[in-house]
Amino acid sequence: MAEQDKPKKGGIFQVFKDIVYGMSSHEMTRHAVRSRASMEHLFILITMGDLLGVPILPPYYSLRLLPYVTPQISTWKRRMLRERDITDTIG
Amino acid sequence: MSLRDVFERHPERRYIMFGGKGGLGKTTLSATCAYWLARQGKRVLLFSVDPQASLSDIFQKDIFGKGAVPIIDNLWAQEIDADKRIQDYQNEIRQKILDMYGFDKVPEEIDSYIASASAEPAMEESAIFDAVVDIIVKGDYDYYIYDLVPLGHALYYLSMAKVYDEWINKITKLREEMGQYDRVAATLRRQEKVEEDKILEELQYIKHRINTSSQILTDKRRAAFFFVLVPEEMIILDTRKAAELFARFDVPISGYVVNRVLPQELRAGKIPTYLKNRINMQEKYLGDIRSTLGNQVLAYVPEMERDITGLPMIERLAEKLFN
Repeated sequence: MAEQDKPKKGGIFQVFKDIVYGMSSHEMTRHAVRSRASMEHLFILITMGDLLGVPILPPYYSLRLLPYVTPQISTWKRRMLRERDITDTIG
Repeated sequence: MSLRDVFERHPERRYIMFGGKGGLGKTTLSATCAYWLARQGKRVLLFSVDPQASLSDIFQKDIFGKGAVPIIDNLWAQEIDADKRIQDYQNEIRQKILDMYGFDKVPEEIDSYIASASAEPAMEESAIFDAVVDIIVKGDYDYYIYDLVPLGHALYYLSMAKVYDEWINKITKLREEMGQYDRVAATLRRQEKVEEDKILEELQYIKHRINTSSQILTDKRRAAFFFVLVPEEMIILDTRKAAELFARFDVPISGYVVNRVLPQELRAGKIPTYLKNRINMQEKYLGDIRSTLGNQVLAYVPEMERDITGLPMIERLAEKLFN
């Protein structure tokens, strides 16, 4: 929207540049920004978990639970960092 | 009231703890106390929760990490080897993963997590904490005497119990709610049975362990906590502060033992000024202790002519402490 208010500059070349950006990089930028936000959330969760009632488990006991979550560990890591998809919106 | 009266009037107080700053004689007094109780025909386990335990030194016998070692009739002593316990525990976890999934090797990512979790500073305390529960749950003895770590650690140990307990309660509740959703989903899908939640079982087990040990430490009926102090200004001030903190954690304080009191008989002879000054200093602070703690002081233990190691010395001290 902000672009519309700006005085037009560069003519056809700028339009072409915008289209190329929109087709190629825009999605990647959005993805990067979202990943950054997810990581921010993860970071806050780890450091400030207590605020949400998620204190980080004392390590001695977290080990007891480890065998049960072993298969999920790598999926979980990916999930914490991934972009939200359409099912999240439905949920 | 004397230390002896406390034991005779309250035979239900079976968990005995000595606390105080480092180097004031907690180990000496707990060993002496354990020795006396054993001589009275009670089965006593004296154990150390201090990673730098000194029971081996006082009994002049290597007992570190060897389980409950008999010292005299009715008396056993134990020093918990936290490192070994952590190692065994790590291996147990690794084995469980291998058994559960039929791997022939623990995945690298998981293995490095196990290794790094064990390097956490709280790990050792937690391991000792857990070992104490094992010892006490068995219930083989009439008396359990804790040779406690210095005050800071002891407080940490107690506060940890509270934090853990609250944490586990929260997480267990969350897990139970998750179970409810599972059941709803199962009903919708017309499934007969929901799979048992093994994680919830583990959480409940952990909760039980933590509750057991913190309940023992703060059980007004069964636990007795004695503060050890010496007649010196800084120690008196620190003890007072610590006593307030302990009270906040609901630790039942049964009384105080004043250690290292220079014998009054010394005054009679011709003594150097240095020693005279020390005696005068102690007298001043003993006065302070009498006026502030009064009848909560259960014993004034004389400074012996040599350090307390070996059974004959312990016996002599027990004689002075209880008769």
